[in-house]
Amino acid sequence: MSMATFHLQIVTPDRMVYDGQAERVIVRTLRGDVCILARHIDYVAPLGIGEARMTDADGVTRVAACSGGMIGVDSGEVRIMATTFEWADDIDLERAQRAQKEALERLEALKHEDRDFTIAEAKLKRALARIHAKE
Amino acid sequence: MAGASMKDIKLRIRSVESTMQITKAMQLVATSKLRRAKERMENSKPYKSISTAAVAAAVACCDDPSVPYVTPRAGKRRCYVLIAGDRGLAGGYNANLFKAFSAHAEGADVCALPLGRKAVERCHRLGIETLSDDYPRVEGMSVGTCYHLARLLLDGYDTERYDELWLVYTNFVSMMSQEVVIEQLLPVQRPPEGTPHTLVSTVYELPPAETLAHVLPDFLAGRLYSALCDAFASEVAARRSAMDSATKNAGEMISDLKLRYNRARQGAITQEITEIVAGAEH
Repeated sequence: MSMATFHLQIVTPDRMVYDGQAERVIVRTLRGDVCILARHIDYVAPLGIGEARMTDADGVTRVAACSGGMIGVDSGEVRIMATTFEWADDIDLERAQRAQKEALERLEALKHEDRDFTIAEAKLKRALARIHAKE
Repeated sequence: MAGASMKDIKLRIRSVESTMQITKAMQLVATSKLRRAKERMENSKPYKSISTAAVAAAVACCDDPSVPYVTPRAGKRRCYVLIAGDRGLAGGYNANLFKAFSAHAEGADVCALPLGRKAVERCHRLGIETLSDDYPRVEGMSVGTCYHLARLLLDGYDTERYDELWLVYTNFVSMMSQEVVIEQLLPVQRPPEGTPHTLVSTVYELPPAETLAHVLPDFLAGRLYSALCDAFASEVAARRSAMDSATKNAGEMISDLKLRYNRARQGAITQEITEIVAGAEH
């Protein structure tokens, strides 16, 4: 017997990444990973930076790197509004590795200059999430 | 005499023709850019509508009156994000926007973040204080740039450089019609009292106020991106129709001039014949 599905929309500012039925989706919130299944209670959480996993209606699981924004469940409709959301297939590993290196160098140079440090740190996390999702 | 005027008309025709070539080329460029611009605009719509609804819901759940970004401040200094064109020759596109802006900002204490070269120039001419002049190109502005802008704007708001944030841009309604929109971004507007929301039972991982503070930079960047896409599509559409009517106008002028040229030519020939015939008779 196949599992119950729900309507999932994944959007980033520049496009609709996914709009269809899904069995489940796992995303990283600021408090840790959460898994959403069909008939979840209404729910809102801001997203952190990390890996996301989605199983579609056919039972195929896809991995993605996801950062920023929030996830919302409203009367069974699940919406992920992310800053970036890239399927593992679309991730440019070389670019991510370059970004990782640059971010590390920047962090080293900045040490603890607050704001720039936070930006460089976020860049590093995103790069790591991409590399991770790709692997 | 007829000869001189024939030469004049010929010169006019040539100059109108070369102008027409330019307007025609600009029209073609605008047409091809429009396709991409419209595509980008359509792609930016889902995030805008979904995030707007989500933020409205979070705001509705914020009972705490001291929440930043929601509670209006005593100060009334406004910051306008002004999205105008990179270039002129787009009919009333820039003029309409500045007219609406001036009417809205009348008498208020104002600063601005101009986007697009025309907006930057306008702010300088009016002597309006600007947050940054580094964004003179609307075309092809990336999501990443919008995040920089959002951070810049929130910084200004946090440090109380201004108390209200407004967005002025041109909304793309259709190929033939674009309208100027003025919206308030900050403080975030509460949905009108009595709007039914079923979210009382919603589980918030973090308190609504904290959630809001966390997602607001993203939300703001998404709104800016969508407005920029709309504005650029509007600019190109306005330029296309302006160049279309300019080309048509030039075509009419040329056919009118050609008629006059032929008349002048005919007149000259008739006169010559009359002169020769008159010469032969004597």
